[in-house]
Order: sequence, then C-alpha cells, then structure tokens
Amino acid sequence: MFAKEMAKQSLPLLLLCGLGAIVTGCILSLMNTPNLDDNLFLKIPGLIIVIPAIIAMRGNISTAFGSRLGSAYHLGVIDADNLWNKELIQNILGSFVLSLLMSIFIGILAYITSFILGVFPNPFLIISIVLIAGVISGIILSFMTIGVIYLVFKRGYDPDNITGPALATFGDIITISCILGSIFLLEGLI
Amino acid sequence: MIYNWKKIVRNGLPILTFAVLIEIFAGSILQNNQEIIVLLPIFLISIPVINSVGGNIGSVLGARLASGLHVGYITAKANDKKMHENLLTAIIIGVFTYTLLAIIIYYGALFANLNKGIELKEFVGIFVSTGFLLICLVAISSVLAAFISFKKGLDPDDMVAPVVTTVGDVLGITFLFLMISVFGVGI
Repeated sequence: MFAKEMAKQSLPLLLLCGLGAIVTGCILSLMNTPNLDDNLFLKIPGLIIVIPAIIAMRGNISTAFGSRLGSAYHLGVIDADNLWNKELIQNILGSFVLSLLMSIFIGILAYITSFILGVFPNPFLIISIVLIAGVISGIILSFMTIGVIYLVFKRGYDPDNITGPALATFGDIITISCILGSIFLLEGLI
Repeated sequence: MIYNWKKIVRNGLPILTFAVLIEIFAGSILQNNQEIIVLLPIFLISIPVINSVGGNIGSVLGARLASGLHVGYITAKANDKKMHENLLTAIIIGVFTYTLLAIIIYYGALFANLNKGIELKEFVGIFVSTGFLLICLVAISSVLAAFISFKKGLDPDDMVAPVVTTVGDVLGITFLFLMISVFGVGI
C-alpha cells in the first residue's frame, strides 16, 4: 500500500531527474574528450577537483532560495501579482552574495588541495573559472527560480513540491555549461 | 520586511562551508582517478546520474521520515516498523531506477562512441552495484540525520537534504571507483 504510493509519486520525478543528470554528464564529457590534446581536465590541472563543489554549492543555494520563496508564498508575502517586491530583492541579493563568497572559497580550497595532491594549477585561472561560472550561473538561476515560481503560482500548485527537484536538475545543467563557458572565455590564459 | 540579505548569508554560510569542504574531498577522489576517467569516459557521464538519484532518494526518504516524526506515526527508534518499510521501498525503487538508467546511458554512449573498453553487462553491473551500495548508505544516513536532528530539537526538514546530498556525492564517487576495480575494468 504504502510502498506503492511512494513508488507512484516519486518514480516519474526520479527518472526525469536521472535523465537531466545524463545531460549534465554529457556536457562534462565534452570537457573529457578522447583526443588527449583537447582534454580540458588534462589541460587545466585542478579543474576536476572543483566540479563536485561548484555543482553542490549551486544546488544548495538555489534550492534554499526556492524553498524560501515557497514559504514566502505560504506566508502571503509574495504571489503572482506581487512578485517583484522588496522581499524578493533581499532574497536575490542574499543568494548572490553567498555565491560570490563561496566561489572564492572553492577556488582557494581547490588550489590548496591540488598542491597536496601533487598537481600544480594556475591559481589565477582556477579561481577565475570558479568565480565567473559561480556568479553567472547564480544570476541565471535566480531568474529561472523566479520564472518557475511565477508559473507555479499562476497555476496554483504548491511550490514546495516542484521547485526543489526542478531547480536541482536544471541547476546542474546550467552550472556545468557555465564552467564550460568560462573556460572558453579564459582560453587565452591556458 | 521578513527577509534580509545579511541574515540569508549568515544562515547559509555554515552548511555551505560544510558542503564545500566535503565536496572538495569528492573532487580529490576524481583527481586521483583521472586516468580511469580519461580511459573510460562513460563513467564521467555516470557520476552526476549516480549522485542525483542517490541524493533524490535520500531527500525523499528524509522528508517522509521528517513528516512521520512531526505527525507522530514514526518514532525515533532503531526497530520502528514504518521506518523499515520506508527504507526497503527506497532501496527497491533505487535499484530499479539505476538499472533502467544504466541501460539508457550505455546505449546513448554507443552513439557518441564513448563506450569503448566496456561491455553492457560489465557497465550495468558496476553501475547498479554502486547504486545499491549508495542507496543503502544514503538511506541509513538519511534515517540517522532525521532521527538525530529530531531528538536534538532541530527541524529535520532543514537538515536532512543538505547532509544527505553531500554525503551521497562522496560515497557515490568512492563506491564507483571501488566497483570499477572489483570488476577489474580498464586495467
């Protein structure tokens, strides 16, 4: 009984998130080309160390943002007609500052860890990649969260059920794309 | 005004610092196994999938336990029957999902020519056994995180998801490389 209900409600979402994660994995494998001269993980020492950290940071910050907006909706502070207000701006600002601080922290930590593991990254390059990817993905995801929340409000769904998995899955894809983008932006430094 | 950006930053920093420190450790495991990743690119595609499913199942389980504890139909004891039922369901759903996704990844990788050096049955074997180990450990840490935070008077809804996804990422990567060496692929 009980098991059936859990399977019926969570299995479709689980499979959907799994398919989203395959997209993330495919973008990751664009960096990991079989042609070793183009393999970004070999070209940029330390890059692979930051990948799990930056994905986790993005996931944590944006799902917390989504769940705060969900609570704000239940408290009656925001709704579809009154979305762009002071409460929302404070939330965006808070998430943005967190992304900025944590990106710098991840960059420095990755640099130190690489030394311990015997690979020697360019500190400026690795910190810049994390910072640019962290900040840009943060901005994109903030707007996406607002978009998702707006649609959820308009349709009258409970934001608590939808924003978490939706943001986690899209967040991973966007974050990895932003890492790839910031590498191309900084290509001259490699 | 109920939200203030400084308060959001202050509340977010401790759990984020914890998560980032553990995830850098996960990244170090990847760095140490870089040769396998370059040799068998299919496993890099698999890592986000293994971790996403593990984290999702752990979070769903944690949220269900949290609701049960709040309402009172689950008690924070090791022999609670409802808790066991939830755990078993999570493991069965997990193994089913992992098997299905492993087959999808293998045939998808076939098109991109990324599956060299490994057969379907080896890949599914490694993927599903990694997933099984991960779900068992994630389910147990989800139960522990829910029960301990509930007993300490903290809200399990705030605690379980970050703890479980972070612990799950490290364990997922560890178990994957463990299973690759158990199956003796890529040596």
